[in-house]
Amino acid sequence: MLQTSVAAAEHLGPPRARSAIARRIVLYVLLVAFALLFFTPFVWTIATSFKTLPDSAYFNLIPHPFTTEAWKSVWNDYDFKRYALNSLFLAITVTLLNLFLASLGGYAFARLRFPGREVLFLIILGTLMIPDQLRLIPVFVMLTNWHLIGNFSGYILINLVTAVNLFFMRQYFLTIPRDFEEAAKLDGAGYFKTYWRIMLPLAGPAIAALAILQFQGTWNDFFWPLILFGQGSEHMYTMQLGLAQLTFTYQSLWPQLMAGSIMAIAPILVIFLVFQRFFVSGVTAAGIKG
Amino acid sequence: MTSATETAPAPKRGSLFGTRMREAGWGYAFVLIPMAVFGLFFIYPLVYGVYISFFEWGILGKAAGATATTQNYTTLYHDPVFHRALRNTFEFALLVVPLEMALGLLVALVINAKIRGRAFFRSAFYFPSIASSAAITTIAIFILNPDGLLNRIIGSDQAWFGDSSTALYSVVGLNAWTTSGTVMLFYLAALQSIPTDVYEAAAVDGTGAWRTFWRITFPLLKPAHFFVLVVFGIGALKVFDQFYIVSQGTGGPEYSTLSAVFYIYQEAFKSANFGVGASAGVVLFVAIFLLTLLQRATVGRAEVG
Repeated sequence: MLQTSVAAAEHLGPPRARSAIARRIVLYVLLVAFALLFFTPFVWTIATSFKTLPDSAYFNLIPHPFTTEAWKSVWNDYDFKRYALNSLFLAITVTLLNLFLASLGGYAFARLRFPGREVLFLIILGTLMIPDQLRLIPVFVMLTNWHLIGNFSGYILINLVTAVNLFFMRQYFLTIPRDFEEAAKLDGAGYFKTYWRIMLPLAGPAIAALAILQFQGTWNDFFWPLILFGQGSEHMYTMQLGLAQLTFTYQSLWPQLMAGSIMAIAPILVIFLVFQRFFVSGVTAAGIKG
Repeated sequence: MTSATETAPAPKRGSLFGTRMREAGWGYAFVLIPMAVFGLFFIYPLVYGVYISFFEWGILGKAAGATATTQNYTTLYHDPVFHRALRNTFEFALLVVPLEMALGLLVALVINAKIRGRAFFRSAFYFPSIASSAAITTIAIFILNPDGLLNRIIGSDQAWFGDSSTALYSVVGLNAWTTSGTVMLFYLAALQSIPTDVYEAAAVDGTGAWRTFWRITFPLLKPAHFFVLVVFGIGALKVFDQFYIVSQGTGGPEYSTLSAVFYIYQEAFKSANFGVGASAGVVLFVAIFLLTLLQRATVGRAEVG
């Protein structure tokens, strides 16, 4: 068996080597083409953000003169300082609330027995089917009635915890062996203490993935901030809303627009560079779910 | 004797019952807030949205003395703008999903081959997927403007987003560019789960790379194809951000960038027709729901067959 496959490989040796080289060449040509397609816009964006407005009309990659004027004016004059703080506040608040509520709920669904547990869990999975565009108007009407439009608490309230996060935490807790909890139970620890002291520390990787993906999701969110703060609440604009507004108002102020775009991307880029593997594991988990 | 054995378990069962009650109590307490959020902001709006869709409903709520009618649905049925929005949305989805799949699969194949800097390229191609849609769209507006980089390279002066004949296709290109990184990750995971002995057998048979791909790799990726089709197909039908930003919130020129969700947004926040907007939401939800069922049915059959 082994001998025949070795013999076959030897037999195929020379032509395979030639076709392998051809394949390498095709691969690297494709790779370079994709790399150009993906990188050129970003490189051009960064270059333009350091240009002056007249210089941004030319085809030179190196800014001439090099200036950080656009960055300063976007940050100070166009109020991105405030937008960044708003985005940061919302992203951190929503992420922390999701971490706590999704892990606590996920723990209950994974471990505690209570009547109706399976039905409630099915309901949670069912909410994944309800799209935002159907909720848009009723949720807006509800928040209007409660005077929560143009108000951060309205946004936080509807994003307290997501079904995806709760599901994700439950699945992770199911993979943790019960031994740890049994030991805690023997020590007389209550359910909350078991969750807080035992389960949460054991769920480190899931917690990290959830935190990163939720922070990214809230930071990037455009739709709900537009609905809730878009109607004349400029002081509540998030980074993404502020950037869209800047695009609408100053249509060819390219250096400022590009500096603003980089600011809107930068925190996510930094998180991505540091915690790449959590992004990938989060996406893969979403894949398993589907 | 008999009475002793019968009474003995009784207190035990009582304490077990107490433990069960206590466990259940904590269970309910832990899921209380999530269930309240899902009930209040997902399930109730589903019902409430259908309710609103049957009334004349303005910025101040239900019109005085309004009775339930199907008027909003009739309005939609006769509104050419809504038809246009639906057509744009489906055309967008039909174009962007195959493009994302082709691009994502091609990049996944290149990265899955033993190339140098594989981890780097994987991250680089994935990055646009996690960057904010507002920033990516702003960059696209810059690159595709009449004096922009793309026109300089190809020597044209096309206003890609500003011309009703190219605006929709430009957003298709933009979204394919952004989203194919995520599609790539799914295909990479699927490619890595294909056992290598399948390829070894093909190599022994002397099958060429091209044939190996179409005869072996592509069919083995079937579950991944369907997954991507369902998830990204539904995602494409909900498109909003990019259309909103490239058209500066107008959906123009000539309604060429008005998506279905964008139509709902405009009905509600530009025209204060909450009733019509809600009924458009119901129509879109039903359309997406039916497509999901259809796709699930196809996927199920494909997996069985």
